Amino acid sequence: MRALDYALREGWASLWRSRGSGAFAILAITLAMIALGILLLVTWNVERLLAEWSSAAEFSVFLRDDASSEQRGEIEATIDRSGVMEQRQYVSKGEALARFRREFTELASLAEGFEDNPFPASLEVRVRPEAEADGRAIALVQRVAALPGVADVRYDREWLARLSSGLAAVRGAGLALSLVLALAAAVTVASVVRLGLNARRDELEIMQLVGSPIAFIRGPFVAEGVLQGGCGALMALGALWLGFAAVNLWWGAGLAMMLEDRSLQFLPVQLSTALVAGGMVVGGAGGFAASRHAV
Amino acid sequence: MIETHHLSKLYSRGLHALRDLTITVAKGEFVFLTGPSGAGKSTFLRLLLLQERPSEGDIVVNGHDLSKLSRREIQEYRRGIGFVFQDFKLIPNRTVLQNISFVPEVLGVPVAQQRRKAFQVLKWVGLQHRMSAYPHDLSGGEQQRVAIARAVASEPVLLLADEPTGNLDPDLSLEIMNLLREINSGGTTVLVATHDRELIRLVGRRTITLDQGRVVEVA
Repeated sequence: MRALDYALREGWASLWRSRGSGAFAILAITLAMIALGILLLVTWNVERLLAEWSSAAEFSVFLRDDASSEQRGEIEATIDRSGVMEQRQYVSKGEALARFRREFTELASLAEGFEDNPFPASLEVRVRPEAEADGRAIALVQRVAALPGVADVRYDREWLARLSSGLAAVRGAGLALSLVLALAAAVTVASVVRLGLNARRDELEIMQLVGSPIAFIRGPFVAEGVLQGGCGALMALGALWLGFAAVNLWWGAGLAMMLEDRSLQFLPVQLSTALVAGGMVVGGAGGFAASRHAV
Repeated sequence: MIETHHLSKLYSRGLHALRDLTITVAKGEFVFLTGPSGAGKSTFLRLLLLQERPSEGDIVVNGHDLSKLSRREIQEYRRGIGFVFQDFKLIPNRTVLQNISFVPEVLGVPVAQQRRKAFQVLKWVGLQHRMSAYPHDLSGGEQQRVAIARAVASEPVLLLADEPTGNLDPDLSLEIMNLLREINSGGTTVLVATHDRELIRLVGRRTITLDQGRVVEVA
C-alpha cells in the first residue's frame, strides 16, 4: 500500500515536472482513445439499433387478388398456430392504397390512372423476438409462402444480416486502427517517461544502493504512465461527448427520421469507464516498458 | 564482518583492478583502505555494494556469501549497508530533510517515523537548522554531513565511505572523520577508502594499503 502511495505521489510529481513533454504523450493517448471511442460509439449504437430492429421484426404476407376467404382463413390459422406471432393485422387493398397516399404524398400520383387498385391486401405479422432468434420465424415464412392464395411473403432480414456483417468489418478495421494508435501512444508514453527516468538517474542509483524494493523503483514510472493514460482518455471522452453533441445538434433530426424515430445515444457509463481504463492500461504499459530501464 | 578470499576483478580490456585479495575486517572495526589512484579502492567498495561482480574469489559480508544472493536478497543485504561518496550523491530537487528521509521512505517506513528519524540524524550532524535547504544551498562540508546523516538513517551494520573527504579542506575532513568515528563507536563497522595519508595518521586506525590491485601493507 505504501509502495502504491509512493508510486502515485512520485508519478504525479514527475508528470507535473515534465508537463511539456508529458503533454505529447497525453495527446497521443487522447487521439488513440478518440479513434477507439468513435469505433465504440458507432458499433454500440448500430448494435443497439440492430437489436431493436431485430426484436421488432415482422413479415408481410401479400394475398392474391383472387384469394378466397377460406384461403385467407387457412393462412391466418397457420400463422396463429405457429406460436411465432406476437400480433397480426389484416390490411385490405383499400387500406394499403390509403397508407401509400398518406406516407408517400409526393409519389401519390403514381397510384393514379389505374382501373383497379394496384395494391394487394396483406397480413402484417409481428414476430416474437425468440422466434426470430431460433429460426422458427423463417420456417413459418417458408411454410406460408407455399399456401394457396399467397402472392408473396416479404421477410427481408438480409439487410440486417448485411448491416451486421458490415458492422463486423468496421469493427475489425477500427480495432486494428485503434491498436496501432494505442501502440504508438504507448511508445510515446514510454519515451516521455524514459526522459524523466534519465533525469532521475542519481535518485535511482541511490534507491538501488539502499536496497529499495523494485516496486518503489519502478512503480512511479508505471504510475506516471497510468496517469498520462487516464488524463488522455478523459480528454478523449470529453472530445467525444462534444463531437456527439455537435452531431446531434446539426443532424439529430435527420438521423431520427432515418432511424425511424430512434435516436443515437452516447456511450453508457460502463463503456465510458472501460475507455478510460483502456487509456490507463495503454499509458501503464508505456510506463512499465520505460521502467525496465530503471533497474 | 567482511572476509574476502582470493578476490580478483578483471575488466574486459585486460585491466586487473584487484588481484588475489584476501582481507578480513572484524565486526565493529574502523578500517582505512588506502593507496594511490587506480589501486582498486573504489572497485573493492563497488564489489561490496554488489554494483559489480568479482571475476574470481569470494566475498562474505556479515555472514552473506555475496556470490549466492538472489535479486531480492541483494536488496535486503544492501539495506544493512550505509554508503558515503566523494560527490555526496544527494538528490538536487529534494530538501535536506527529504534527502535523509528518502532512504526510510523507499524502504517503506511510515511517514511519521521517517521524519522523526531524519530529524534525529540531522540534529546529530548539526544541520537541523538547514533541514529545508536544498543541496545546492549547502557548502561541501554540509553536503557531506547530510550524506552521512542519510547513510546512518537506516542504522546500517556496515558503513562504506569512498573518499568522503576528497572535496573538503583539512579541517572539514577531520570533522567528517570524527562523525565516522562516532558512528563506529556505536558498533557500526566502518570502511573508509581514502588516499589522504595525513588524515589516516590523525585518526590512527588499522589501514590496508592497496597498489595495483594487491594488498601491499596492513598496518
